Amino acid sequence: MNRTTAESVIGYFGFPRRSTLHEVRERFGFDTPLVDLDVDRGAPDSGVLPATTCRIITNIIDNAVDLGNRLDAVVAAVGEDKCDRGRHAALILKRKGFNVIESRFPCDEYEDRPLVYSRCSMPLTEKINRIMETVVDPSPADAGPGPCKPTHGFWGVPPHDFRILDSFPPKTHVYGWTRCVVAGRPGDLSLECYVDEGVPTVFFTQSFCAKQDLAHYLAEHYGGLAVDCHREVNDSILAKVEAFIRLS
Amino acid sequence: MKIADCGSTWVKILDVGSGTLDIIPTKELVRRSDLFFEMATGHSGRRRCREYKNELIALAEGGLSMVDTGDFSLVDVGGRDIKFVRFKDRKVEKLDWNLACGSTTGATVELLVGYYGLTFGDLAPAKDWITITCGVFGMERVLEAISTGTPPDRAISMFLHGLVRNVYYFAGRPERIYLSGGFCESTCFLGTLEEYCNVTPLGRTVPLEGLKKDL
Repeated sequence: MNRTTAESVIGYFGFPRRSTLHEVRERFGFDTPLVDLDVDRGAPDSGVLPATTCRIITNIIDNAVDLGNRLDAVVAAVGEDKCDRGRHAALILKRKGFNVIESRFPCDEYEDRPLVYSRCSMPLTEKINRIMETVVDPSPADAGPGPCKPTHGFWGVPPHDFRILDSFPPKTHVYGWTRCVVAGRPGDLSLECYVDEGVPTVFFTQSFCAKQDLAHYLAEHYGGLAVDCHREVNDSILAKVEAFIRLS
Repeated sequence: MKIADCGSTWVKILDVGSGTLDIIPTKELVRRSDLFFEMATGHSGRRRCREYKNELIALAEGGLSMVDTGDFSLVDVGGRDIKFVRFKDRKVEKLDWNLACGSTTGATVELLVGYYGLTFGDLAPAKDWITITCGVFGMERVLEAISTGTPPDRAISMFLHGLVRNVYYFAGRPERIYLSGGFCESTCFLGTLEEYCNVTPLGRTVPLEGLKKDL
């Protein structure tokens, strides 16, 4: 692990149990900043994983290696609420000397939170950022925006490159694992597979992610568009999404 | 006034006034800084025109202007990718565009044909096929087949058959495909695809017809 002198942080990935995250914060101090390791933070390539790894998992490893000893702990979602590769990432980080605390979000802790930010009218990037903030702070917004009728749908996880979200109109509803997050039910496969019939939906995954199986099946079933992307989006991917939104 | 469909391997340029169509390799476009168009589509056209049009939208609108029927499946097989639009009552019902994994299959065929000193006219439809996940994996399989004794023309025809299967399944196995792109000129490609479904070749100007709609 790298030796650094900057302030300590607590890393996490996926949607850890609220109690596990709380305990870790209690132990290391509620003032210790939380860092979502799933997100692209511009960390250099650690070279730990093969190039054909889902970019989100690569982000987890690269971010952790880059933060080094600044990480007091890594709270790692390793259950059905994440994926096998999340479990593998936790094991690799543990063997590299990180303090990894594993989390498996059990069904009996599923919540039933209102789907405020997945159904409101708001730029999609802001919507997804607000949803992901509920992993750490689930307290409801004082005056949450009301639901709108969807013109389009976005199904999937928060992408590595958020530029793909700019193509969607504000009345895009959010489905898939991101909707599971806002509901507080990260491993609920039924909810993950739910979309509103008749809403033109883009089924997005990172390339080399197991969720590509679901995205492909659901896109066929609902007449949507499956889009996968490795690392950054390019003009072709943006054009494909733009055409789908314009023509559907 | 000139409009263009600037693909990854070929550029189709239409002089709207005279109706003259020029088709040049994209490598020539890359060398020339004087080529600029009133309107363009395609991967290589974005910085070469006054007005750019999304290529899937150009394809869809071009297809509608060239096909009279209400329900039909239109597929464009290019050097870099495959685009698909299915219409119902002349409205877009489904569309797709294969990118990244699964791509560059068309360009790979051209590379292989050129490398082995063949022409597309030398290729005859093959009954069996090479499964091609993408251009790179497909080329590896062709090279393996040739190294184990398969004649190059037959190995490339098997690659082409694999590409045809990709096209057919990508389009959702329709009864008829309205085909756009350079493979409309390949009797091997058309003959192989006709083993799976009816084919109506529309030629290489479908996206240009889509551009003309906005002039």
